[in-house]
Amino acid sequence: MQTNLPDALPLEPGLLVDQGEFAHMCGLSVTEVDELVEYGAVTPLAGGPGGPVKFSSALVPPLRRALKLRADFDLDLFTVSMLVSYLQRIAELEHEVRVLRAHLPRAVGHLREGPATWREPHA
Amino acid sequence: MKYKDYYAVLGVPRDADAETIKKAYRKLARQHHPDVAKAEGSEARFKEVAEAYATLRDADKRAAYDSLGTRRSGEEFSPPPQWQHDFAGDAFSEADLADLLAALGRGRRGAGRASVPLRGRDYEAGVRLGLEDAHRGTTVSLDVEHEDGTRTLAVTVPAGVTEGQRLRLRGKGGPGRHGGPAGDIYLHITLAPHPVFRPDGHDLYFDLALAPWEAALGAEVEVPTLDGPVLLSVPAGTRSGRKLRLRGRGLATGHGGRGDQYAVVHIDVPASLAPRERELFEELARVSSFRPRAFIAKEPAHADQPS
Repeated sequence: MQTNLPDALPLEPGLLVDQGEFAHMCGLSVTEVDELVEYGAVTPLAGGPGGPVKFSSALVPPLRRALKLRADFDLDLFTVSMLVSYLQRIAELEHEVRVLRAHLPRAVGHLREGPATWREPHA
Repeated sequence: MKYKDYYAVLGVPRDADAETIKKAYRKLARQHHPDVAKAEGSEARFKEVAEAYATLRDADKRAAYDSLGTRRSGEEFSPPPQWQHDFAGDAFSEADLADLLAALGRGRRGAGRASVPLRGRDYEAGVRLGLEDAHRGTTVSLDVEHEDGTRTLAVTVPAGVTEGQRLRLRGKGGPGRHGGPAGDIYLHITLAPHPVFRPDGHDLYFDLALAPWEAALGAEVEVPTLDGPVLLSVPAGTRSGRKLRLRGRGLATGHGGRGDQYAVVHIDVPASLAPRERELFEELARVSSFRPRAFIAKEPAHADQPS
């Protein structure tokens, strides 16, 4: 079975989803999403007074990860809310490390394994 | 079906209270969780422990399980007819104990109880792509394990994906039941290390070695790109660490554009010098007024020329 766009959607800050869809993607009930909002683990991006509440789809991966740990270790939702913050911070740090590694020249980043300095093939 | 002694799996007595069972489970789960335990057999042990807990944490399932009586682990048995009537509803003659007890959570036999639409299972998969595949887009095969076997999906990954990106394939997960929707697949994209380039988002970086005279005088040097080698103009006075940009030579963004490519300069020196090279370097050392450590020593970068 071939799966083409637009079925493959990137989960990123610019892609907003409504609360029902957000809950569906995370495997939560809408009530549980409300509870996570109360704990401050997720912040809705409201569409305006009385407008539909939306969430960034970038929150889905860390929340899914935290909920997997919830299932694995029988955690309560409050603990999940704490985990989400740490998982987001870990993802940010991993991204920062990747960026720094990309920018560092190999001669300086001797602690890092990576591509060799470019040499012309005929040199 | 084979009997499993869930109390023995968790290491708790049969009259253990809920809190004791929970603590025992968490301890064993932490010990054998795939995220932390790499020893062979850990994953199987984790599943065994999780299965035991799934039954014993639920009061109804625990009661049903306890009413089967005490048996030896692995002993073949059949639940008595009355047990099936009281707990199992439809016959599950081919199911194992875990399936049987798991089915209790999905409802009991009861007159007039409607089947609730159930959403299909979600799947998570990691996909490791080469840089060129991420740039151009590609099709990958995913093997997804369902309850009824393994399914292979051909998934098109669009051009412009980046390291760490997550994609959602809506409705491509496990089938729903009783009219419920299918689940989703969540893809985690990673990029394989490239022999030359280092990606940062849609930008690419690579190391460019220059000879001292190339850096000082400027030069046209051939450099690699995803589209093949191109000539890069190195300005005179280029220092180590400077990043020279090749606009639009990075990775596709997926929206019709491309990121940029950067050459990270470092100035190399010959490991050994021929006699004439040594002469020239020594003369340069005599005539040059360049003081690269002037900032540190608080001396001017260029001293007055000697008379």
